[in-house]
Amino acid sequence: MKKQILALIIATTVANFTHAADTIVIDGSTTVGPIAKAFAEYFMTANPDINITISESGSGNGAKSLLNASCNIAAMSRPMKDSEFKACAEKGIHPVAHVVALDGLPILVHPSNPVQELSLEQVRKIYRGEIMNWKELGGPDKKIVAISRDTNSGTFETFNKLVMKKQNLSAKVEKVGSNGAIRQRVQTTPAAIGFAGLGFVDKTVKALKINGIYPTAETVQTGEYPIARPLFMYTDKYPKLGSPLYQFNTIHLTEDGQEIVEEIGFVPVTAY
Amino acid sequence: MTLETRKLLDKAFSGLGLIAIGMMAAALLLILTPILWRGSKAFIFKGTIEHRRVMLEEFDRGNTDRFPAEMEKAKAAREPIYQILADFKAEMKTMERSTRGEYKSAYREVEQAITVLLGPAPGERTPVLMRQRYGQMRWDRTQIKLHEVLFSEEWDYSIPGAMGVLVETPRIEQFAGTKLEPLFHYMEEHIDEMMRPKTTFYWQFITDKSKDSHIFGGIWPEVLGTLYLTLGAMLFAIPMGVIAAIYLCEYAKEGRVVSFLRICISTLAGVPSIVFGLFGLAFFLNTIHVSDSKSVLAGSLTLSLLILPTLIRSAEEAILAVPRTYKEAALSLGAGRWHTILTVILPASLPGILTGIVISMGRAAGETAPIIFTAAVSVGAPLKIWETLNQPTPALPWNIYNLCTEHEAVDEIRHVQYGMVLTLVVIVLLLNMAAILMRARISKKLRG
Repeated sequence: MKKQILALIIATTVANFTHAADTIVIDGSTTVGPIAKAFAEYFMTANPDINITISESGSGNGAKSLLNASCNIAAMSRPMKDSEFKACAEKGIHPVAHVVALDGLPILVHPSNPVQELSLEQVRKIYRGEIMNWKELGGPDKKIVAISRDTNSGTFETFNKLVMKKQNLSAKVEKVGSNGAIRQRVQTTPAAIGFAGLGFVDKTVKALKINGIYPTAETVQTGEYPIARPLFMYTDKYPKLGSPLYQFNTIHLTEDGQEIVEEIGFVPVTAY
Repeated sequence: MTLETRKLLDKAFSGLGLIAIGMMAAALLLILTPILWRGSKAFIFKGTIEHRRVMLEEFDRGNTDRFPAEMEKAKAAREPIYQILADFKAEMKTMERSTRGEYKSAYREVEQAITVLLGPAPGERTPVLMRQRYGQMRWDRTQIKLHEVLFSEEWDYSIPGAMGVLVETPRIEQFAGTKLEPLFHYMEEHIDEMMRPKTTFYWQFITDKSKDSHIFGGIWPEVLGTLYLTLGAMLFAIPMGVIAAIYLCEYAKEGRVVSFLRICISTLAGVPSIVFGLFGLAFFLNTIHVSDSKSVLAGSLTLSLLILPTLIRSAEEAILAVPRTYKEAALSLGAGRWHTILTVILPASLPGILTGIVISMGRAAGETAPIIFTAAVSVGAPLKIWETLNQPTPALPWNIYNLCTEHEAVDEIRHVQYGMVLTLVVIVLLLNMAAILMRARISKKLRG
């Protein structure tokens, strides 16, 4: 009798185990994190039996996860690199990009900093270590504390490409691991400068005009704001039509999805 | 050395000892007091009517008879605000274009601040994002947001060569002479009636699911994840550790190989936890694929490796501490080696082994680094037991870090972060206490 019960328990466990395929695992960018989390909340409210898990470990790690087939969606704040595509193709994985939102990269300073505007050139010089003091930019006599993301970050890649033009950062630049950490560092350090996704800007930090353009939804969408980029979710091949993954990956195309993106502070791909 | 100096030295030493103990106590107090104080605010706080609304609408909890009446009262108290706003809007239309432009953006700020404080205005459609459907749920946050309605903040950069200064101007001055002017007095005086704060004991903070990335609800997925990971780690580590210890003490012949093994175990105990985390990712996930994605299983296996050395060493000490005479008596009575270990040595060393288990259990529950790559995610549902085999989970230590550094609205939900810290500390303490009690009972039983 006991054996039968045990067998039954094992059988149900195994059955449940095979049934438990209704999960969506998302890994990657900390910038896309807020969007992914809000989409997940929205999706799970409608489909309570599907478990969506999200890790925010950086775009590079998202790509690695997709490569190792350990996630369904790689959230990335930069496009995949050639090397990553190649590695994926060799493993039989075909990354398909879904652009879920647009994002500007505001240059952030402490709100008490009187500087209102910088040019791309000036930002680059700050991070190159050529401008060391706010005095040179019309600010107070304070040493600039430049803060950047780590090199695993897609936000850093964007910054590196669009602002630094791939020149090396000064060794004095501080590197932190997430958008939130940059904001925290800037809000507590009056002489700091940093950059983060649009969704992370609140009134504890001040976004600067760059080349005379303030980062807003409009200026990002029209391409006027010079440091902007699309945000991606990569899947292995296009998801099977009608599958939960497909439904999740099309939320950003719905009106509700657009509203979520906008309310979190990012820019929807299409404006209805 | 004279007797005098010796006495003096003696006194100096005991004095130093006292100072050391005192400093330790002070440090403990310094760490624990804020944890307790701030953490308790996640459980006991002044909740507004919005908190009760969330509880009722999202968690099916609360008094369905009394709540509607209370909500009606709150709505009635809020009514005049929306009336004043509408009046002012009408007034703006009659203004000249230049003055209207002046007021327009300032008015939009007021409107937004009120929406943040009270939730969407009646008649407006329900926002898709849950965090925008409700007003402030806690009284302390309410007061901060009320301040934002009453005062406009601006930075004054007029002093050249210096940092700006924050200037707060009462909005009532901005809108003096308009129909919006009475709004600010009204809000200040009637905030109690609009929000109806009540001391709330929200113990379900531990057992509630989190909604909208921790802005609503509790921390059950994290608590459950931590328990799964800890128990899973013990499940793998205890048998392996005890068997290894028995082998090392009773079966292995003392010699080069065994002492080499011991050195290895000690070295393993000193390896940083992040290295175990990376090893877990490289071995369990990427090489032998225990699961498709990160999972509780992979995390538990990694954690069990981390605590294995401590477990083996403490079990070994406990087994070696069993008096030789016990073993000799058992053997002389004709018991075999295996029988002796099972019936005499293991029971006698159980209290010592349990101590090792206690220490390593606390460590497993609190470790962050080994689970970052193998098990932990920032958002996920509470798992059923069979789902732990192939699904990742949120866990307290990781989510504390994640909330603090990565959450987009962390300043709004600091109480959740501190609540998690308190819960983690309490879980570790409880685990330890349970095991200490168990040990006391077993050793009492053994002494007969």
